[in-house]
Amino acid sequence: MRPLYTLSFCIIWLAAAPAHAKTVPIDDSGTLPYNAALAMRWQEPQPRGPSRQQMLGTLQLRVRLNVAPWLRHIGRIYLVLPAQQPGAMTVSWTTQGRLLPGQLASGGRTLVYAGPFTTPFIEDMVQLTIAVDGRRMLQSYPVNFRFEMDED
Amino acid sequence: MSPGRRDLHVRPRGHDRLAVARPLATQALGLAALLALADQALAFTATLTPSAPRTIYLQIGNGTFNGGNYTPIKANGQPAGNPAKNPTINVVSVSVPAASVGNSTAQAMTTNSAAANSFWDGFAYCNLPQQLYIGGFYRTTGAGGGTISVIATVPASLIDGAGDTIPFSQISWTSAGNLDSGAEPFPAGSFSSGSLNVGSIGQNQWAESCWTFSYKNTVVPAAGTYTGRVLYTLTAP
Repeated sequence: MRPLYTLSFCIIWLAAAPAHAKTVPIDDSGTLPYNAALAMRWQEPQPRGPSRQQMLGTLQLRVRLNVAPWLRHIGRIYLVLPAQQPGAMTVSWTTQGRLLPGQLASGGRTLVYAGPFTTPFIEDMVQLTIAVDGRRMLQSYPVNFRFEMDED
Repeated sequence: MSPGRRDLHVRPRGHDRLAVARPLATQALGLAALLALADQALAFTATLTPSAPRTIYLQIGNGTFNGGNYTPIKANGQPAGNPAKNPTINVVSVSVPAASVGNSTAQAMTTNSAAANSFWDGFAYCNLPQQLYIGGFYRTTGAGGGTISVIATVPASLIDGAGDTIPFSQISWTSAGNLDSGAEPFPAGSFSSGSLNVGSIGQNQWAESCWTFSYKNTVVPAAGTYTGRVLYTLTAP
């Protein structure tokens, strides 16, 4: 009865595989500019209104994600902004349609793509706006983003 | 990722290393694949740099903005206009009729200031010649101390050519601007000799008021022209 035993093991293993969906960083090294300088400007003050402490910066990116390892598969891509200096930040972005527009707070992630991967690369023009409390901007801060894949 | 990490790729070392048995070769390939995968765990970076992080601007009477008002903000995020120095020293004055001198009937004062509009948005904020514009803003990163104050340095007296005096405390002001509501950042007050806090500007806030000066007329000085100068100072930490 050994062949039957082997077969049942294979069935169990295959059935369990989807439950082991994992999150994998995506190679975004084709993104330009890859290390962008972003001049943060003050949100305009208002007379006699509440103080405006926010600084804003806008960046145009050509995002290029290497999804070749997931070609002909289905997955979900997230933009991730890890918690880091200079503290609480919010990011919003618009796209030209290949990726989803959205917003994100530091320490979180937001879905930018869900579906099948039919080409080895996903590209889009993304206009990214970062808002940060100007009182925390004591110097220049490199802010790291990453794209990650939830594999189905 | 720093560019230096790209140099961690495993590179072939020569023909002698190719002569190893197949299991070892498989292990080497596996290691190379792992390192390559780690190299792909990339993240793009935006380096945030505060642009023009510290600015203070104070305007008493006439002021100057080059290129327009502060707002609307241009597409590049910068103000439309930029503050500039204006050396004008405006005068607030009143001529008291001889029959009214010292009768305790307050005399309205007027200004030669031409600043009716706010440089924030061009709004017609103060009414000339009755009102004197006082305003400014304070920009800084970091904690910044919250607010900064405008300090008036006031002489004891106004003086005429003969050395006769009128106490500066004879002059007071009310504070209001067109369409204003709520508390004024530079409230009503009266002069007293020495340093006088006449109002404050919150960090990253534009503050402005219009002052209407009045001469109390409770003293009887000798006939003459009395002058004095008040110096207004805004200091940021």
